[in-house]
Amino acid sequence: MVKKEMEYVKKQYYFSKIIRTEILFTPLLIGLPLIVGSFFIYDWYIRGVIGNCTAYNGELILGIIIIIGNIAFDMPFIKSLKVLSKKK
Amino acid sequence: MVNVADKLKDAKIKINSLDFDAHWYRRAFHAFGASFLIYYLLPDVYLINLLKLWIPPLIVLFVIILEVLRLTGKISSDHFFGLRMYEKKRVGSYVFFAVAIIILLRFFPQQIAIPCILCATLGDPIIGEIRRRYSMNYVYIIGFFVCMYFFIITWFKADVFLIILVSIVGGLGALIGETKKFWWLDDDFMIQMIPAILLLIIWIGIPHLGLSYPDVIISSSFMHW
Repeated sequence: MVKKEMEYVKKQYYFSKIIRTEILFTPLLIGLPLIVGSFFIYDWYIRGVIGNCTAYNGELILGIIIIIGNIAFDMPFIKSLKVLSKKK
Repeated sequence: MVNVADKLKDAKIKINSLDFDAHWYRRAFHAFGASFLIYYLLPDVYLINLLKLWIPPLIVLFVIILEVLRLTGKISSDHFFGLRMYEKKRVGSYVFFAVAIIILLRFFPQQIAIPCILCATLGDPIIGEIRRRYSMNYVYIIGFFVCMYFFIITWFKADVFLIILVSIVGGLGALIGETKKFWWLDDDFMIQMIPAILLLIIWIGIPHLGLSYPDVIISSSFMHW
Protein backbone atom coordinates (compact mmCIF):
# COMPACT_ATOMS: atom_id res chain seq x y z
CA MET A 1 0.00 0.00 0.00
CA VAL A 2 1.27 3.50 -0.86
CA LYS A 3 2.61 5.31 2.21
CA LYS A 4 0.56 8.42 1.47
CA GLU A 5 -2.62 6.40 1.65
CA MET A 6 -1.75 5.36 5.20
CA GLU A 7 -1.86 9.00 6.29
CA TYR A 8 -4.95 10.26 8.08
CA VAL A 9 -7.66 12.39 6.53
CA LYS A 10 -7.05 16.03 7.45
CA LYS A 11 -10.05 17.81 8.87
CA GLN A 12 -11.45 21.28 9.13
CA TYR A 13 -13.25 21.56 12.44
CA TYR A 14 -16.24 23.76 13.08
CA PHE A 15 -15.53 24.66 16.69
CA SER A 16 -18.61 26.69 17.50
CA LYS A 17 -21.23 24.23 16.21
CA ILE A 18 -20.95 20.96 18.11
CA ILE A 19 -18.60 19.02 20.37
CA ARG A 20 -16.53 16.76 18.16
CA THR A 21 -17.57 13.10 18.10
CA GLU A 22 -14.11 11.78 19.02
CA ILE A 23 -14.11 13.95 22.18
CA LEU A 24 -17.56 12.73 23.17
CA PHE A 25 -16.47 9.14 22.58
CA THR A 26 -13.14 9.35 24.45
CA PRO A 27 -14.41 8.76 28.05
CA LEU A 28 -16.19 5.61 26.84
CA LEU A 29 -13.12 4.56 24.86
CA ILE A 30 -10.92 4.72 27.95
CA GLY A 31 -13.37 3.86 30.73
CA LEU A 32 -15.43 0.94 29.39
CA PRO A 33 -12.57 -1.54 28.82
CA LEU A 34 -11.25 -0.86 32.33
CA ILE A 35 -14.72 -1.46 33.80
CA VAL A 36 -15.16 -4.65 31.76
CA GLY A 37 -11.70 -5.92 32.76
CA SER A 38 -12.50 -5.18 36.41
CA PHE A 39 -15.80 -7.09 36.11
CA PHE A 40 -13.92 -10.12 34.84
CA ILE A 41 -11.52 -9.98 37.78
CA TYR A 42 -14.33 -9.36 40.26
CA ASP A 43 -16.33 -12.29 38.87
CA TRP A 44 -13.24 -14.50 39.15
CA TYR A 45 -12.83 -13.35 42.76
CA ILE A 46 -16.46 -14.03 43.72
CA ARG A 47 -16.93 -17.36 41.94
CA GLY A 48 -13.32 -18.53 41.74
CA VAL A 49 -11.65 -17.43 44.98
CA ILE A 50 -14.60 -17.26 47.39
CA GLY A 51 -16.35 -20.17 45.66
CA ASN A 52 -13.04 -22.06 45.69
CA CYS A 53 -13.30 -23.12 42.03
CA THR A 54 -10.42 -23.05 39.54
CA ALA A 55 -12.78 -23.14 36.52
CA TYR A 56 -12.90 -19.33 36.56
CA ASN A 57 -9.17 -18.69 36.29
CA GLY A 58 -9.60 -17.87 32.61
CA GLU A 59 -11.68 -14.84 33.58
CA LEU A 60 -8.81 -13.54 35.68
CA ILE A 61 -6.40 -13.90 32.74
CA LEU A 62 -8.81 -12.19 30.35
CA GLY A 63 -9.49 -9.39 32.82
CA ILE A 64 -5.78 -8.72 33.24
CA ILE A 65 -5.18 -8.83 29.46
CA ILE A 66 -8.05 -6.40 28.77
CA ILE A 67 -6.88 -3.94 31.45
CA ILE A 68 -3.14 -4.07 30.62
CA GLY A 69 -3.77 -4.06 26.86
CA ASN A 70 -5.98 -1.01 27.11
CA ILE A 71 -3.76 0.91 29.50
CA ALA A 72 -0.80 0.24 27.17
CA PHE A 73 -2.57 2.02 24.32
CA ASP A 74 -4.52 4.58 26.36
CA MET A 75 -1.40 6.04 27.98
CA PRO A 76 0.29 7.19 24.76
CA PHE A 77 -3.11 8.32 23.51
CA ILE A 78 -3.65 10.54 26.56
CA LYS A 79 -0.05 11.77 26.37
CA SER A 80 -0.52 12.71 22.72
CA LEU A 81 -3.56 14.72 23.71
CA LYS A 82 -1.56 16.77 26.20
CA VAL A 83 1.31 17.44 23.80
CA LEU A 84 -1.02 18.62 21.05
CA SER A 85 -2.93 20.82 23.48
CA LYS A 86 0.30 22.50 24.60
CA LYS A 87 1.27 23.11 20.99
CA LYS A 88 -2.04 24.86 20.42
CA MET B 1 -26.94 37.54 35.56
CA VAL B 2 -24.96 34.67 34.07
CA ASN B 3 -25.65 34.02 30.43
CA VAL B 4 -25.98 30.24 30.22
CA ALA B 5 -25.86 30.17 26.42
CA ASP B 6 -22.57 32.10 26.39
CA LYS B 7 -21.09 29.82 29.07
CA LEU B 8 -22.09 26.72 27.11
CA LYS B 9 -20.58 28.19 23.96
CA ASP B 10 -17.32 28.92 25.83
CA ALA B 11 -17.26 25.37 27.21
CA LYS B 12 -17.76 23.92 23.72
CA ILE B 13 -14.94 26.03 22.32
CA LYS B 14 -12.64 24.97 25.19
CA ILE B 15 -13.50 21.27 24.75
CA ASN B 16 -13.09 21.45 21.00
CA SER B 17 -9.72 23.16 21.35
CA LEU B 18 -8.37 19.79 22.54
CA ASP B 19 -6.66 17.83 19.85
CA PHE B 20 -5.96 14.13 19.47
CA ASP B 21 -3.24 12.21 17.72
CA ALA B 22 -5.23 10.20 15.13
CA HIS B 23 -2.68 7.40 15.23
CA TRP B 24 -3.05 6.74 18.97
CA TYR B 25 -6.79 7.31 18.82
CA ARG B 26 -7.01 4.48 16.33
CA ARG B 27 -4.88 2.23 18.53
CA ALA B 28 -7.02 3.00 21.61
CA PHE B 29 -10.15 2.33 19.53
CA HIS B 30 -8.82 -1.10 18.61
CA ALA B 31 -8.06 -1.98 22.24
CA PHE B 32 -11.54 -0.76 23.23
CA GLY B 33 -13.01 -3.60 21.13
CA ALA B 34 -11.93 -6.10 23.82
CA SER B 35 -14.84 -4.75 25.92
CA PHE B 36 -17.24 -6.72 23.73
CA LEU B 37 -16.09 -9.88 25.54
CA ILE B 38 -18.50 -8.84 28.31
CA TYR B 39 -21.07 -10.51 26.04
CA TYR B 40 -20.04 -13.90 27.46
CA LEU B 41 -20.11 -12.78 31.09
CA LEU B 42 -23.66 -11.46 31.02
CA PRO B 43 -26.12 -13.65 32.94
CA ASP B 44 -28.16 -16.28 31.14
CA VAL B 45 -31.62 -14.86 31.88
CA TYR B 46 -34.47 -14.06 29.51
CA LEU B 47 -34.24 -10.26 29.45
CA ILE B 48 -30.45 -10.19 29.13
CA ASN B 49 -30.57 -12.87 26.42
CA LEU B 50 -33.04 -10.71 24.54
CA LEU B 51 -30.65 -7.75 24.80
CA LYS B 52 -27.72 -9.97 23.74
CA LEU B 53 -29.75 -11.05 20.73
CA TRP B 54 -30.72 -7.58 19.56
CA ILE B 55 -28.15 -5.03 20.73
CA PRO B 56 -25.08 -6.29 18.78
CA PRO B 57 -26.89 -6.41 15.39
CA LEU B 58 -28.45 -3.01 16.10
CA ILE B 59 -24.99 -1.53 16.81
CA VAL B 60 -23.67 -3.01 13.55
CA LEU B 61 -26.73 -1.77 11.65
CA PHE B 62 -26.19 1.72 13.11
CA VAL B 63 -22.51 1.62 12.08
CA ILE B 64 -23.43 0.50 8.52
CA ILE B 65 -26.05 3.26 8.19
CA LEU B 66 -23.49 5.84 9.40
CA GLU B 67 -20.99 4.58 6.85
CA VAL B 68 -23.54 4.66 4.02
CA LEU B 69 -24.40 8.25 4.95
CA ARG B 70 -20.69 9.17 5.02
CA LEU B 71 -19.93 7.55 1.67
CA THR B 72 -22.93 9.19 0.04
CA GLY B 73 -21.80 12.55 1.45
CA LYS B 74 -24.84 13.08 3.71
CA ILE B 75 -22.60 13.15 6.80
CA SER B 76 -19.28 14.93 6.60
CA SER B 77 -16.14 12.82 7.02
CA ASP B 78 -15.10 15.47 9.60
CA HIS B 79 -17.19 13.57 12.14
CA PHE B 80 -15.18 10.37 11.56
CA PHE B 81 -11.90 10.98 13.30
CA GLY B 82 -8.87 8.85 12.46
CA LEU B 83 -9.91 7.81 8.96
CA ARG B 84 -7.04 6.91 6.67
CA MET B 85 -6.70 8.38 3.18
CA TYR B 86 -7.52 5.06 1.53
CA GLU B 87 -10.74 4.88 3.58
CA LYS B 88 -12.02 8.18 2.25
CA LYS B 89 -13.89 6.58 -0.63
CA ARG B 90 -14.07 3.09 0.78
CA VAL B 91 -15.93 1.43 3.66
CA GLY B 92 -14.11 2.37 6.88
CA SER B 93 -12.19 -0.34 8.71
CA TYR B 94 -14.35 0.11 11.83
CA VAL B 95 -17.29 -1.36 9.90
CA PHE B 96 -15.26 -4.48 9.02
CA PHE B 97 -14.11 -4.63 12.63
CA ALA B 98 -17.70 -4.54 13.96
CA VAL B 99 -19.06 -7.00 11.39
CA ALA B 100 -16.31 -9.55 12.11
CA ILE B 101 -16.88 -9.25 15.88
CA ILE B 102 -20.62 -9.83 15.56
CA ILE B 103 -20.09 -12.84 13.27
CA LEU B 104 -17.71 -14.33 15.84
CA LEU B 105 -19.97 -13.61 18.82
CA ARG B 106 -23.06 -15.04 17.16
CA PHE B 107 -21.91 -17.92 14.98
CA PHE B 108 -18.66 -19.26 16.47
CA PRO B 109 -17.99 -21.11 19.72
CA GLN B 110 -16.57 -18.98 22.50
CA GLN B 111 -13.25 -20.86 22.37
CA ILE B 112 -12.75 -19.66 18.79
CA ALA B 113 -14.31 -16.20 19.07
CA ILE B 114 -12.36 -14.94 22.11
CA PRO B 115 -8.79 -15.37 20.78
CA CYS B 116 -9.79 -14.06 17.33
CA ILE B 117 -11.33 -10.93 18.87
CA LEU B 118 -8.22 -10.46 21.04
CA CYS B 119 -6.02 -10.77 17.92
CA ALA B 120 -7.92 -7.89 16.30
CA THR B 121 -8.31 -5.72 19.38
CA LEU B 122 -4.85 -6.10 20.93
CA GLY B 123 -2.75 -8.11 18.47
CA ASP B 124 -3.43 -5.79 15.52
CA PRO B 125 -2.28 -2.57 17.26
CA ILE B 126 0.78 -4.35 18.69
CA ILE B 127 1.71 -5.60 15.20
CA GLY B 128 1.03 -2.10 13.83
CA GLU B 129 3.44 -0.54 16.33
CA ILE B 130 6.12 -3.13 15.55
CA ARG B 131 5.66 -2.41 11.84
CA ARG B 132 6.15 1.31 12.44
CA ARG B 133 9.32 0.92 14.49
CA TYR B 134 11.07 -2.20 13.21
CA SER B 135 11.44 -4.27 10.05
CA MET B 136 8.87 -6.68 8.63
CA ASN B 137 10.85 -9.66 9.97
CA TYR B 138 10.04 -8.52 13.51
CA VAL B 139 6.39 -8.14 12.50
CA TYR B 140 6.21 -11.77 11.42
CA ILE B 141 8.05 -13.16 14.46
CA ILE B 142 6.59 -11.04 17.28
CA GLY B 143 3.14 -10.86 15.64
CA PHE B 144 3.00 -14.63 15.42
CA PHE B 145 3.94 -15.14 19.06
CA VAL B 146 1.55 -12.44 20.31
CA CYS B 147 -1.40 -13.98 18.45
CA MET B 148 -0.27 -17.47 19.44
CA TYR B 149 -0.36 -16.37 23.08
CA PHE B 150 -4.04 -15.37 22.80
CA PHE B 151 -4.91 -18.84 21.50
CA ILE B 152 -2.88 -20.59 24.24
CA ILE B 153 -4.59 -18.71 27.08
CA THR B 154 -8.06 -19.39 25.66
CA TRP B 155 -7.43 -23.08 25.07
CA PHE B 156 -5.48 -23.75 28.26
CA LYS B 157 -8.15 -26.21 29.42
CA ALA B 158 -7.73 -28.34 26.26
CA ASP B 159 -5.52 -31.32 25.54
CA VAL B 160 -1.82 -30.37 25.08
CA PHE B 161 -1.85 -31.53 21.45
CA LEU B 162 -4.87 -29.33 20.76
CA ILE B 163 -3.27 -26.31 22.47
CA ILE B 164 -0.17 -26.63 20.29
CA LEU B 165 -2.16 -27.22 17.08
CA VAL B 166 -4.65 -24.43 17.69
CA SER B 167 -2.06 -21.88 18.79
CA ILE B 168 0.15 -22.49 15.74
CA VAL B 169 -2.72 -22.55 13.23
CA GLY B 170 -4.48 -19.60 14.89
CA GLY B 171 -1.29 -17.54 15.18
CA LEU B 172 -0.41 -18.15 11.52
CA GLY B 173 -3.98 -17.40 10.40
CA ALA B 174 -4.06 -14.12 12.31
CA LEU B 175 -0.68 -13.11 10.96
CA ILE B 176 -1.73 -13.85 7.37
CA GLY B 177 -4.96 -11.91 7.95
CA GLU B 178 -3.02 -8.92 9.26
CA THR B 179 -0.23 -8.82 6.68
CA LYS B 180 -2.25 -9.63 3.56
CA LYS B 181 -3.77 -6.36 2.36
CA PHE B 182 -6.71 -5.93 0.00
CA TRP B 183 -8.21 -2.58 -0.97
CA TRP B 184 -11.77 -3.88 -0.70
CA LEU B 185 -11.43 -6.09 2.37
CA ASP B 186 -9.85 -4.71 5.51
CA ASP B 187 -7.28 -6.49 7.64
CA ASP B 188 -9.50 -5.86 10.71
CA PHE B 189 -11.89 -8.39 9.17
CA MET B 190 -9.24 -10.80 7.93
CA ILE B 191 -7.29 -10.98 11.21
CA GLN B 192 -10.47 -12.27 12.87
CA MET B 193 -12.06 -14.41 10.19
CA ILE B 194 -9.06 -16.31 8.79
CA PRO B 195 -8.02 -17.87 12.13
CA ALA B 196 -11.70 -18.36 13.01
CA ILE B 197 -12.37 -20.39 9.87
CA LEU B 198 -9.17 -22.41 10.31
CA LEU B 199 -10.07 -23.12 13.92
CA LEU B 200 -13.61 -24.06 12.97
CA ILE B 201 -12.18 -26.76 10.72
CA ILE B 202 -10.10 -28.05 13.66
CA TRP B 203 -13.17 -27.75 15.92
CA ILE B 204 -15.22 -29.96 13.61
CA GLY B 205 -12.35 -32.47 13.51
CA ILE B 206 -11.86 -32.68 17.30
CA PRO B 207 -14.20 -35.68 17.86
CA HIS B 208 -12.60 -37.47 14.89
CA LEU B 209 -9.18 -37.04 16.52
CA GLY B 210 -10.49 -38.82 19.60
CA LEU B 211 -10.21 -35.65 21.71
CA SER B 212 -12.77 -33.74 23.74
CA TYR B 213 -13.83 -30.13 23.39
CA PRO B 214 -12.22 -27.73 25.87
CA ASP B 215 -14.41 -26.06 28.51
CA VAL B 216 -15.49 -22.48 28.00
CA ILE B 217 -13.21 -19.84 29.48
CA ILE B 218 -16.03 -17.44 30.45
CA SER B 219 -19.18 -18.70 32.14
CA SER B 220 -22.35 -16.65 32.31
CA SER B 221 -22.42 -14.72 35.54
CA PHE B 222 -25.26 -14.98 38.05
CA MET B 223 -25.06 -11.19 38.31
CA HIS B 224 -24.72 -11.42 42.11
CA TRP B 225 -22.26 -8.58 41.82
